[in-house]
Amino acid sequence: MNALLPLVVPALGAVLVVVLRAHARAVAGVAVLALVVTIGVGAWVATTEPTFAWQWSRLIELRLAVEGFGRVMIVLVPLVATPIVAYAAVTEDEGRVRLLGLMLAFVAAMLLLVSASDFVTLLVAWELVGALSWALIGHGWRDPDNPRAAAAAFLTTRLGDLGLYLAAGTTFAASGSFAFEAVGGTDGTARGIIAAGVLLAAAAKSAQVPFSPWLFAAMAGPTPVSALLHSATLVAAGAFLLIRLSPVLEPVGWFLPAVAVVGLVTALAGGIVATVQTHAKRALAASTSAQYGLMFAAVGAGFPAAAAAQLVAHAAFKSLLFLGAGVAIHAGGTGRLGGLRLGRALPRIALLSWIGALALAAVPPLGAAWSKEQILAGAADASAWFGAAVLAAGFLSALYAARYQLLAYGRAEGPGADGPQGLHAPGRVATGSMAVLATVTVGLSLLWLPGAAALVEEVAGPLPPAGPPGETAAALLLVAVAFWLAFLLRRRSHLLTLGLAPAAQDAAGDWLGLPAATGALVVRPSLRLSRLLRLLDERVVDAGVRRTAALGETVSRLFSRRLERMIDGAVGLVARGWLSTAAASRIADDAGVDATVEAIGQGVGLAGHQSRRLQTGLSHEYFVVMAVGLAAVVAILATAR
Amino acid sequence: MLTAAIFVPIIASVGFAILPRGRTAGPGAERRVQVLATVISALPLVLVAASWLGFRGTGAFEQVEAVDWIPTLGIGYRVGVDGLSLPLAAMTAVVFVVAIAFPVDLRGRPVPYFALMLFLEGISIGLFLALDLFLFFVFWDVSLVAMYFLIGAWGHGDAQRSALKFFLYTFAGSLPLLLAILGLYLVTEPRTFDMAQIIRQQPLPAGSPYAILVFIGFFIGFAIKTPLVPVHTWLPPAHVDAPGPASAILAGVLLKMGTYGFVRILMAMMPDTWAQLSLPIAILAVVAIVYGALVALAQTNLKRAIAYTSVNHMGYVILGLAVAGAAVTGQEAARAIALTGATVEMVAHGLITGGLFLVSGAILARGGTYEMDEYGGLLTRARSLTGLTAVLAFASLGLPGLAGFVAEIQVFVGTLAIYPVLAGVGLLGIVITAALFLRMLQKLFLGSLPERWRSFPDLTRVETAGLGLLVFLVVLIGVAPAWLLGVVDSFAGPFVGRP
Repeated sequence: MNALLPLVVPALGAVLVVVLRAHARAVAGVAVLALVVTIGVGAWVATTEPTFAWQWSRLIELRLAVEGFGRVMIVLVPLVATPIVAYAAVTEDEGRVRLLGLMLAFVAAMLLLVSASDFVTLLVAWELVGALSWALIGHGWRDPDNPRAAAAAFLTTRLGDLGLYLAAGTTFAASGSFAFEAVGGTDGTARGIIAAGVLLAAAAKSAQVPFSPWLFAAMAGPTPVSALLHSATLVAAGAFLLIRLSPVLEPVGWFLPAVAVVGLVTALAGGIVATVQTHAKRALAASTSAQYGLMFAAVGAGFPAAAAAQLVAHAAFKSLLFLGAGVAIHAGGTGRLGGLRLGRALPRIALLSWIGALALAAVPPLGAAWSKEQILAGAADASAWFGAAVLAAGFLSALYAARYQLLAYGRAEGPGADGPQGLHAPGRVATGSMAVLATVTVGLSLLWLPGAAALVEEVAGPLPPAGPPGETAAALLLVAVAFWLAFLLRRRSHLLTLGLAPAAQDAAGDWLGLPAATGALVVRPSLRLSRLLRLLDERVVDAGVRRTAALGETVSRLFSRRLERMIDGAVGLVARGWLSTAAASRIADDAGVDATVEAIGQGVGLAGHQSRRLQTGLSHEYFVVMAVGLAAVVAILATAR
Repeated sequence: MLTAAIFVPIIASVGFAILPRGRTAGPGAERRVQVLATVISALPLVLVAASWLGFRGTGAFEQVEAVDWIPTLGIGYRVGVDGLSLPLAAMTAVVFVVAIAFPVDLRGRPVPYFALMLFLEGISIGLFLALDLFLFFVFWDVSLVAMYFLIGAWGHGDAQRSALKFFLYTFAGSLPLLLAILGLYLVTEPRTFDMAQIIRQQPLPAGSPYAILVFIGFFIGFAIKTPLVPVHTWLPPAHVDAPGPASAILAGVLLKMGTYGFVRILMAMMPDTWAQLSLPIAILAVVAIVYGALVALAQTNLKRAIAYTSVNHMGYVILGLAVAGAAVTGQEAARAIALTGATVEMVAHGLITGGLFLVSGAILARGGTYEMDEYGGLLTRARSLTGLTAVLAFASLGLPGLAGFVAEIQVFVGTLAIYPVLAGVGLLGIVITAALFLRMLQKLFLGSLPERWRSFPDLTRVETAGLGLLVFLVVLIGVAPAWLLGVVDSFAGPFVGRP
């Protein structure tokens, strides 16, 4: 039961928030308190490693186990969520109760996800996280664009969820169980399908190519929502799953190389997109894809522990950067990077944001630099090309980190150098939230200490062997070059446009045209097909029915006309026949025969009349006829016996 | 007890019909009649619940009540329950209570409306409990008549025409069904309509043209009622023009008669033929899944869209049944899980889609149209309506934690083991349904509120309670389905021959 505690606390918190909705201060207090308690409970279960099983049926058992890297996540998620929720409590006025309640529920679902130890539980958590993110992204529902963006995000990730259905079903078919351990006992083909399913699900959730654009759509949500989704939760789920399952999926020959390719392509493409983006939140969103790409690359290189370290570091600094972006957008009244430069106006926030940017750029001694070292060492260990690609991605990270920071929180120059006037300055809670995340980011510098590596290996598996010193030097040199380049561009006033034509920059910034491509190749054809099928259904399938009905009507009309004539004829014939017989045998009992004739004649005439009435269209009469017919059939059968 | 569950509402409906006029006129009379009908409709629910408590899950028919009816023909009045019929009867009772209590435009004729509803409740429960083919067929046909009048007399739009189309189309399905029943009857030895005996006898081994003919007869009869593509086109007009509660019954209960017939009769009595044809049936089901979802996506009319999602969901049921009956040895666990999934889907769809049709009735009563584009931003005015609809919509698109998921995951898991490619194609359906339900929520409830809906009223207390009951069950099955899955498994396990 203890394994349930970390989920139960935030879930109860969500309920309490709704119950106490009338008391504004209590709501905020309860929300933050619930998460603080969750951190404590998480830390406790991380050391006790409890398990829990929930029986659905003879064949389905949902299992939770706090183990492996999950032990870190169970603390990390509430730890990062606490300052974000505190920030949301003071900055978001519209629908605050709903927002806070949903955020707590979302944290609970995410904690279920990181403690899942079978595919059904994972799938449950996986889709719940997706659905809650729909509600969070569409929070500002009065503007129809927001729910539309939320739907796009949910549908993209749900497409990936199909991979988990595939993995769950295949595991069951091959082993009779849904447990993660069972994957180890499956044969080659089955394990290949499982690996493919897991990769599909992970790539969609972690916004890897070609699914990346949904993260842009997700920017429709309020800034704290973006901070929460991008740091240790929704997007992290994909990388977490790979870290958790790569040891059992490794034997599938193509699996690790495929993960590496997906990751590297995303890291490089996302790096370019983040570098050219002109919108603050979108630049950060693209960088999220790119950073998760690096984690995928680490898993692909065979060192999930390096990815795990990067995930933790990224969770802290990315949420810090997002809150900083939120403050900037709130203060500057725009998300366009051209209109910010709030360095002079908000010096303290600028400083905090610098910490996040330096971590994103992987500048030592921050922990994020250590984890990126590890990824580089792992990649270089696999192949030189792989190492070079990671170096290039690292260069791009440093470049877009510096560019973002200088544009959002750099010092404005020239006229109006004090920055925009009439600022909305952030309150104490907002600043404090950022300070907490900055402290965590800085605190992760401890990773450089000797002995830290052993701790990482204990929870997440082996780290790569240290590379040659030249490797580290090259990485540091590239970071330095990137910063130099950013400052140079700023001096020449090209930092925003990078000297590109606006049209080209917009195209590249919108995920290099990927959304347009998926729109043209997937979305619009599907919608066209659905409209086509609707027409088909109305004009062809149903028309067939109508034509059959019409045909039946025509036939029955023809038939009835002839039938009536036939029956009339038959009645006449029978009557005449009987009459003539009667006439021929006058000796016979006149009265008896006459009576019979009359009775039959009347009966048949009545039948003819009745059969004409069949066309009255009164359906209940059809039913009566049917029932009578049924009785007749039964009677015939009975006599036939 | 089961007999009482069937005949209490039927007798009550007769009582309603002969109720003196004076008592049902005057102010507040409609309300009084409705309360009385609701109380009566709850009695079968209590009785079925009691039967559930006494259910032991032996795998055979339990709590059988039998009397000879026409002994020379082997016709008897036989009713009983097993792990398949009990959940369906219980779901039927629940949906009827909510539908009868739900406000509806009575057109000044409350008595016949509630008499028909109660009558149909008894008939429907009877159909699921019947253990005699003849009795089954009687209930089957009588249900059509009751529904015909409900749509024709209390419907809107082109109600007469839709009702007639519904009646004639499904009645056309009854004919082959009747012939097939008789065809099967003729080969039983000794001749009997007793389902348990026929299942034991297995009178019609696969292979002969005669067996194929009988199979086709049953198949057409059940396929029209289910409905399967391409014989589904009676469904949308019937739903669109039916009053909300009747739609809920039609989708929630009457469609299940078709899928129930597939299992209870076709798969149980002719398993060899079913196994031979399971692949084409599975393909048909996958077509229904994808086709139903895509056509639903293109609808602008709320009720038509929900009607087509029924086609999609019944596709899941048939897919599960095809897999469960496939002749693949060594995959008993997968076949059992598919059969359990299909059965749970029947129950889940009854609760979820029943609820969605009640919602559409509530929306029509307030806004006067089903066109989704006419609405928007209703969340501002109607929080309960939005919340309950959202849960039902997410349940229908198969979100975990809600009933639909418990069904669909089992169907897909079973299918992946037997027909992996079909499972892959069918999975696309869940993305399409997600798209259509999100769009539906968006169009109705989100965005800005048009001026004309400034005073759009939220759900009344009765409506909230009714939909709340359905939502509660949907969540209960979604989170803690063990009580339901255990009962269904007592049927599904032995059915696929699992030791």
